[in-house]
Order: sequence, then structure tokens, then C-alpha cells
Amino acid sequence: MTGSDIDTADRLSRRRAKLLPALAILFLSGQVIYALGPHGASPSVDQLKVAAWLLWAAALLFLLATGGGPFRSREVRALMDDETTREHRGRAYAVGFWIAVATSMGIYLLTAFDGVKPREALHIIVTAAIAGALLTFGYLEHRAHRDG
Amino acid sequence: MAEGLGNRLRDLRAERDLTQAALAEMVGVSRKTINTVENGVFIPSTLLALRLARALGCPVETIFSLED
Repeated sequence: MTGSDIDTADRLSRRRAKLLPALAILFLSGQVIYALGPHGASPSVDQLKVAAWLLWAAALLFLLATGGGPFRSREVRALMDDETTREHRGRAYAVGFWIAVATSMGIYLLTAFDGVKPREALHIIVTAAIAGALLTFGYLEHRAHRDG
Repeated sequence: MAEGLGNRLRDLRAERDLTQAALAEMVGVSRKTINTVENGVFIPSTLLALRLARALGCPVETIFSLED
């Protein structure tokens, strides 16, 4: 491990702290636009949108779980996944879990008055949980870099 | 500062003219981790606390202490 590895990991980690929340906001905004937009006009377009959402969600989960930096050396990847990062990720997962539970309970309550299709419900729960986890991770990482 | 835990990491590092990055390199963690420990935002694992003590050449109790 060299000073250069430390600098590279620091730079990438700062970039990640900015990028992940930005992606989470884009992800959320995209789903709000999707939810408010017209549906059913063309089944193939709807299927394409759902497939894009699923791919995007999987990519964001992958980024959160791995921390990024796949093309970097093992040393840099280890520095980007050291014990503070792992703790932040754990806390982000916990927030994602609670958001998923709260959203599920809200939808359960809502369906008492208005029907929500299972696929729509899952779409909302997954979107909210992933976005919440990414925003939490980004906030914790950003705070850790402050005053350095 | 983490509740109940006092730490002198910043002072001890400065006494040895080490930057956060230099200490991070010595113990094999990111500079961010050194920063969060110094700011009391993060309580390090036992392993990291022992590595920090070894890198600074002092007992772990010199760096970390219980606040009564």
C-alpha cells in the first residue's frame, strides 16, 4: 500500500460520496415521472420502462454493495471498503430496510381505500428503499470526509 | 466525540509530524477513517485501535480512554 493508493482511494471515495446521492435523486425523479406519466398506451413501451427501472435498480444496488472502483487495484479497492465504509454501508442497509417496512405498511393501509397492483407496490417499495439507502450512505461518507 | 470515549489521536499524530494520509498508509486504512476517528465520529475496531497504537509507538490506552 502506497501514498498514491491512499490519495487515489481518497479521491474516488469523495467522488462516490457525491455521485451516489445524485444517482439516487435521479432514480427517484425518474420513477416519479414514470408514475405520473401515461400508462397502457403501448405495452411494449411500458415493458421497456419497467426493464430499464429493474436494470437501474440492480446497478445501484451493485454500486452500494461493492463500493465501485472495479478497475482499480486490490489495494485501492480495499481502502475504499475499509471499516468506516462498511459501517456506513451497514447503516445505509438498515435505513433502506426501515424505509421498505414503512412504505409497505403505508401501501397496506392505502389499499384499504384504493387498490394498488402488486407490481406497482413492489416498484414503489424497492425504489424508496434503494434511494433511501443510497442517500444515507452518501450523507455518511460525505460527513466522514469533512474537516479532513 | 463518541459518547464515553476520549481520544488523543490528532494530538499524538501531530506530535509525530504525521499527516492523516501518512498515518492511514502506516495502518492500512483510508484517510477518511483516520479523520472520522480523530473527530470522534467513528469508534474503531479493536484491531484498528491496536494498529494505530503500534504505528504511533504508544499503548492503546494513551490514544483512547474512557471518559468518566
